[in-house]
Amino acid sequence: MIASLAACGGGESSDGNTGGGSKASGEPWILGTTDPVTAVDPAGSYDFGSWNLQYNIFEQLMTIPAGKSDPVGDAAESCDYNDPKTITCKLRSGLKFSNGDELTSSDVKFSLERNIAIADPNGSSVLLGQITDPKTKKLAEGAIETPDDTTVVFHLNAADTTFLKLLSTATTSIVDEDVFPADKLLDDSKVIGSGPFKLSQYKPGEQAVLEANSNYSGDRKAQASQIFVTYFKDPAPLKQAIQSGQVDIAWRTLSPTDLNDLEGKSGVKVIKGEGSEFRYWVFQLQNKAVKEKAVRQAVAQLIDRDAIAKDAYDGTVTPAYSIVPPGFGGQKDSFKEKYGSPNVDAAKKILQDAGVKTPVDLTLGYTPSHYGPNAVDEATELGNQLNESGLFKTKTEDAEWEEYQTLYKQGAYDLFILGWYPDILDADNYLTPFIRDGGFYANHYSNPQVNSMLDKELAETDTNARNDMIGQLQDTVAEDVPLVPSWNGKNVAVASDKMKGVEETLDPTYIFRFWMISKNG
Amino acid sequence: MSAGSGSLPRYIGQRVLLVIPMIWVLLTLTFILLRVAPGDPVSAAVGGKLNEAALDERRAALGLDRPLIVQYLDYLGQVATLNFGKTISDNRPIVDVIRDNGGATLTLTLGAFMIALIIGIPLGLLAGRHRDSARDVVTRIFGVVTYAAPPFFTGLMFVILVAPLGWPTYDIASPMTKFTVEPVTHILLIDTLIAGNFVAFIDVLKHHVLPCFTLGLLLSGVFIRLVRVNLLMTLKGDYVEAARARGIPERYVIRRHAFRNALVPVVTVIGLQVALTLSGAVLTENTFNWPGLGTQLFKYLTARDYAAVQGIVTFFAIVVVVVSLLVDIVTAIIDPRVRY
Repeated sequence: MIASLAACGGGESSDGNTGGGSKASGEPWILGTTDPVTAVDPAGSYDFGSWNLQYNIFEQLMTIPAGKSDPVGDAAESCDYNDPKTITCKLRSGLKFSNGDELTSSDVKFSLERNIAIADPNGSSVLLGQITDPKTKKLAEGAIETPDDTTVVFHLNAADTTFLKLLSTATTSIVDEDVFPADKLLDDSKVIGSGPFKLSQYKPGEQAVLEANSNYSGDRKAQASQIFVTYFKDPAPLKQAIQSGQVDIAWRTLSPTDLNDLEGKSGVKVIKGEGSEFRYWVFQLQNKAVKEKAVRQAVAQLIDRDAIAKDAYDGTVTPAYSIVPPGFGGQKDSFKEKYGSPNVDAAKKILQDAGVKTPVDLTLGYTPSHYGPNAVDEATELGNQLNESGLFKTKTEDAEWEEYQTLYKQGAYDLFILGWYPDILDADNYLTPFIRDGGFYANHYSNPQVNSMLDKELAETDTNARNDMIGQLQDTVAEDVPLVPSWNGKNVAVASDKMKGVEETLDPTYIFRFWMISKNG
Repeated sequence: MSAGSGSLPRYIGQRVLLVIPMIWVLLTLTFILLRVAPGDPVSAAVGGKLNEAALDERRAALGLDRPLIVQYLDYLGQVATLNFGKTISDNRPIVDVIRDNGGATLTLTLGAFMIALIIGIPLGLLAGRHRDSARDVVTRIFGVVTYAAPPFFTGLMFVILVAPLGWPTYDIASPMTKFTVEPVTHILLIDTLIAGNFVAFIDVLKHHVLPCFTLGLLLSGVFIRLVRVNLLMTLKGDYVEAARARGIPERYVIRRHAFRNALVPVVTVIGLQVALTLSGAVLTENTFNWPGLGTQLFKYLTARDYAAVQGIVTFFAIVVVVVSLLVDIVTAIIDPRVRY
């Protein structure tokens, strides 16, 4: 039905133009997702659903090609470090927004400056700390220079080798300064970008319609002339919709049970790509039970990640042996190197050597309402593993996500489960937020040597030297055990047999590159 | 209020005035319950990403760090000036949320009512007419089961049965219909007619079938039991006995005397069922990914979006109160025995 009606599809574009003009001629297709959109305006969001629309509607200075981890030019021809605190970007010539306005360095500066100035409570301006004045909370004086229309120079507050990667995230999307207000968000349906697609219709919580942007001149060439994104509140109708062919792709988030059920069904294929989702157990170090390092090390010695992956997640996840997932520079399986396979005798020795009386009472915490229905299975599995060793006596408690956040910070659990998706594809994004002064989860772990090493690795421009430091930090985590890695998730989509290009875009960035995907007949 | 003590206009006036304290109580309760519940809009959105200091900054930006009484008075002031503000979690004017999503809930509930009446009234009359027969027992069981079965279960059963046939199982229309039909009334069914797009009209109608049936079945259980009991009571009435004594054939007695009188209380009950229907709509909408106010309410509750939840609950309350008032007026008009 979509194919036959596409030609007569109307609806006014956000740039005031109606349909047409697109070079892309591929058949329209429908994506179903449970990721909600907070805002299409890049200054108002910090979530998967919004960022994925923005990656397709806007250009950033840099972009991460599918399957790669290092950024290449997008709106910029190149961005290079002059020194660890200075980056110069050269824009491509002839850049235009979908409404025909020229995109210049002034738009780049405007985009970042307004993001910081608006500091929307749902936004991600916090990621731009390196160019923010900590006192005024505005763009730091002289942080961005635009000597000409195609040159942007960034002066960072401190040496930061991850900033280049930050320039590939949706938070740095380039907006039209003649359209977007400087001090408030723009209405979602009016956003203008320069990416491979333009937003033709946006019904909050229902659907977004994207059409190929004929003014786009970059490498991300759109295959389809029109794409419909349908938003689901619940995975159950999404599963039915993909199974019955009402949507062409279901991406984020079906449960492991649903995925296994769809595996092998005719007409659809379950496609698994590399992911960067990280699930881990955090020790609350203010609690007496786990203050002793030996107790934490004994848990690390006992956890059977293979069993968790197999029994709690039907084999849909990969056991994690480091705080940094595989594929990142400097990654090493430090927990595997230090603890090897699960071993009760070794755990017993660790506790005996430290003079810890057994069994140790432990309270495990999880939430059933934020990390999917299988979190309870994981908590139960880990509890059983610890109890069966005879070294621990665990009880498992749960709370709804909202209450859970308060409880784990207050110390209601000795060991609690959390999950993480990276903002940028860099090992540091798995280190600094977790192990600097208690991390964002306030577990009271603090190690001055770790803090110092984090500063150094962020400033280090030599890749090998930096990777060494990242390796050392992972070893320190395995030794101090402020947390225990559990598993890494995959990036999974279910697609109709007619879809092409889905497999290629499923990578650890979790960017769903609409432009790569096409539908045949 | 004692019967026969006042006029209808005076009664209506009193009821209208009572709406104000009712809404105020509801607003206050909603305000308190949302604040008592753990979490807030900030922790719901980015609680798993930022540290406590960063979260506090965002709370301050939203004014959530102000004393509760200040927030409460501020909110009452806004409502008093009919300014419902914007949602916190996605920055939409709450009036827009009600306008854009209210139409889907309206057509869902009206469709469900129609189905409930179409199923409930004949079955109730059938059961009452044949009291204690096999038909009566089967109908009563059917009524109890449909009333007791939660909409998400019934809906899922329908979806599993119908999806393989290619029937639409989610949303109010296909993506292309939603894209092409210009919103004029924001009631999609009507907008397709205004657009003269018959294909789109049929598409929207087809999408209504499963959700309306699901919610309609839930309501039909109420009507089956109500109509049956009323018919049984009517059949014991003196005028029915008199009709029979005059030798009027039984089928005429039932059709012309008993049935009509048995249906009068249904009008009253329709009003009372509005609240049940709206609560059922929340569950039904979520089952079918229906873009109505119930789905929005659920979404904003999950996001701890105080402003949005308060706005939608207030709107629901006004709808229930207004419909109850209208039903009272209609009952008074059609039944001369009712006096206030």
